[in-house]
This record gives sequence, structure tokens and C-alpha cells, in this order.
Amino acid sequence: MEHKFKKPATKRPVELMAPAGGFDSMMAAIQGGADSIYFGVEQLNMRARASMNFTLDDLEEVARICNENGVRSYLTLNTIIYEHDLSIMRRVVDRVKESGITAIIASDQAVIAYAFRVGVEVHISTQVNITNAETVRFYATFADVMVLSRELSMVQMKTICDTIKNENITGPSGELVEVEVFAHGALCMAVSGKCYLSLHTQNSSANRGACVQNCRRKYKVIDIEDGHELEIDNEYIMSPEDLCTIDFLDQLLDTGVKVLKIEGRGKGPEYVKTVAQCYREAIDAYYEGTYSKELGEQLKERMTEVYNRGFWGGYYLGQEMGKWTDQHGSKAKTRKVFLGNGRRYFKNIQVAEFQLETQKVKVGDRLLITGPTTGVVETVVEELHVNDEGKKEMAVKGDTFSIKLDTQIRPSDKLYKLVDAETVEA
Amino acid sequence: MSKITITHQRNKCIGCNYCVEFAPDRWVMSKRDGKATLVGGVNKKGFYTTKVSPIELDENIKAAEACPVKIIKVKEF
Repeated sequence: MEHKFKKPATKRPVELMAPAGGFDSMMAAIQGGADSIYFGVEQLNMRARASMNFTLDDLEEVARICNENGVRSYLTLNTIIYEHDLSIMRRVVDRVKESGITAIIASDQAVIAYAFRVGVEVHISTQVNITNAETVRFYATFADVMVLSRELSMVQMKTICDTIKNENITGPSGELVEVEVFAHGALCMAVSGKCYLSLHTQNSSANRGACVQNCRRKYKVIDIEDGHELEIDNEYIMSPEDLCTIDFLDQLLDTGVKVLKIEGRGKGPEYVKTVAQCYREAIDAYYEGTYSKELGEQLKERMTEVYNRGFWGGYYLGQEMGKWTDQHGSKAKTRKVFLGNGRRYFKNIQVAEFQLETQKVKVGDRLLITGPTTGVVETVVEELHVNDEGKKEMAVKGDTFSIKLDTQIRPSDKLYKLVDAETVEA
Repeated sequence: MSKITITHQRNKCIGCNYCVEFAPDRWVMSKRDGKATLVGGVNKKGFYTTKVSPIELDENIKAAEACPVKIIKVKEF
């Protein structure tokens, strides 16, 4: 059997991979400087419940946009596979091959074996829970890239990377196996996402991408015998904070990992762009020799603007057992408030026109525009033209207004106002 | 004779196969897109509906209860 696993030349020594829950996030990832994106189609991916998945018919378009931008595209097909999934699984893999998507990310042996058989590049998902070099050697028959378990320490990662090099563990391409790790994003209380909480309580299997995230809620511990409620300092006892490695990225890259992955296919495009930009900056700084702890801290601070449950170093630093969040949902310092939609763009005078469906817009407001082609654009209102009434200080619900903007917007775009999180809650 | 109505909001289906296990005569897995298909269902704006004999009530209630995304509704008349 002949395998043509030829990877496009990597521009950079380390690949930054960003999540794409939809076309808007995919554009955001590209704008943010990601080298690759990963995405799912309706089923058989770990975010099957998310309404934002692509469909099989989108694959050509995804491949086209990614190729044009020199970005690799990976389709996640990493759930548990049952008999009844086999035909759709084969269909998806076949479509990946036809459409020119770079590779698939798989965990079930059925998918790994089928993709290998038909000559589709396959990466081993974190769901496989790779924790040692022997397992790497086992999967090296099928795959050139493998995601390690998120529960390893950097010392353990380094040992695996060193062994791959020292013992020349190569994948189907003949090159050394590349190790991929999660650099940023949500962590789960279960090891490598193998969780049954959602299945037992809601009949909704996390291992089939239908996690209802009930671990993120508050819980009490009650002694059944005497009815006493145990006092727990932190009520979100099953919800870990988000992984963030940007303030020790030098140590993470020193381990020899080749791909850094950002979690978050269920998150918004502004999250994808900001986080990708921050890691891009940090990685580039590392290779230019200008990375510092201060830069890391500064970038970490920038990422608090977008969705997060608070940050910690995960298990990578090795000393902490688990750090639980102290609130439900995001701790982001800014929230986005929906305002309306794009109307048109006047290229020659660089003016964007929007329809305000709700709320108000004032001079000085921070606006966020997201869309499937536009990606993510941020701007501050300097001058506001409302309806046909000329320059005004404020636009209200129902108005059409225009602002100066050097980026093209489209009717498919959504417009938001970025506000201080505390202001929204007040 | 009275009938029961079964409704399926198909686009939200994640293809878990529970409905097929509980009511194999009424549900099949599509080889095309891996989602469940309601046998005899008529599509109206994404909601597939069919009227069937009450004999099928129990098993389809089980299917509806088991559905992790709660997109199956069974109504008696």
C-alpha cells in the first residue's frame, strides 16, 4: 500500500493550532496568526452538541480558505465509534480525502485504521490519553502527530519527546513523530475528557461529544447518614480553571513539543483571535530570543479580556493537584453585548454602515464585528453618522448608523459592543 | 381508533442510536448523515412528524426519555 503523507513545509518550528467552531472563528484564527485550525462536522466530534459545527458540504470551502492562507486544516473525528457510526465515519473520512482537508484527528481505532488504509493523514487525539513513549511508538505505525494527555507534567512531556528523538520513532511520513500538547483553554475534571457525569445524569455522553458540562455547576456534599452538608470553601468543586501556559511558554517549548493547541471550539471568534494572537506573539518572541516572563504576564493579562474561568498552569508544572474555579461561567473582564448587523461597506470612503437592532451606540464605544468572512474586527467609535441626519453623539435602537472603518464589513456580520463585565452585571 | 404523534427535530440529532435501540421499528440510523430518521416522518420546517398506532406508545416514550438532546416528542390524542 502506498501512502502519500507529505506535509506542507512548516514555516515555523512550532505549529500554533487554533479552534474553529464556525467560519467566523476560522477567519479569526487565521487573523490571529494560527498555523493550523481544527474543526468538527455535526457528529462524531467532541463538540457534537455545539450548534456551530460545520457540515460535510463545507469541507471544500474550509480547505480552500485554509490553503489560500497557508494554514493547515484538521477535522476532529475523535468520539467513541459504535457499529451504527461506521458508515458515516467512512463517509466523513472519504470526504476529507476528496476535499483536501490536511488531516483528521482521531481516537477510536476504527477511525485511525480506516483513515490510514485510505491514505488520509491522521493525528492521534488527546482522548487516547498518551502518557508514555511506548504508546507513541505503537501509534507511530499510523500517525505522525500525537496529542499527549493533558494530565502530564512538562518533565514527563520532555522524556517522551527525548525518547522519540533518541530512539528515532518515526511516523508513516518517515519523519520523527511530532508531539502536540494543549497550550491553552478549558480543562476537565476527568482524565483526558473520559467523563461519565453527563451520561449518568442526563443520558448524554461526553465521549460522544454531548457533554452537558454539569461539572461546571455548584455542588454540595451531603452526608447521607446524618444529613449534614459538608462545608466546602469553594463550591465549584468539579470545575477546574482554564489552562494557560503563556507565562511559562519557554519551558513548555523547551520540552521539544512541536504543536501547541488552543482549546475552544465552543467559544466565540473574539476569544479565538485574541488567544491566537497572544500565543503567536509569545512563540515568535521565544524564537527571536526576546521572550520574557514579563511578556508572558502581559499577554496573560490581555487574555483576561475574553472568555476564561481564571487561569492556572494545569498539571504541567507538576506541583498542584487541581485548581477549581470560584464562579460559574466566564471571568472575562469584558462582555460582548449584541447590537445589530452589518449593512454595507463603502470602500472608497472606508465607511461601514450598521443596523442597530437593540441598545445604543455612543461616540467612544468599543465595537466588535464578527462574521464568516470578516472574522473579528475591533474598533472604537470616533464619529457617528445616524440615519440621514448627519453627525450625532448617539444612535438608538432602530437607527441605521455609519462609522469610519478601514476593514470591509458585510451583511452577514454581527455587531457587538464591548463593555466592562462589572457594568453588565450591575 | 386513536393515534399517537411522534415528532423529531432532526437537525439537532447527534446520532446516539438510543431511539433505534428502544423502538427499532420506528427509527433507523441514516447511512448518509449518521443521524436517526423517523420512519414515515413528514418534514415540516425541520420537524419530522408521523401518526402511528398506540401500540408503539411505550417504546417511543422510552426513546424520547433516553434521547440525550431531547428532540423526540410523543403525544397521545
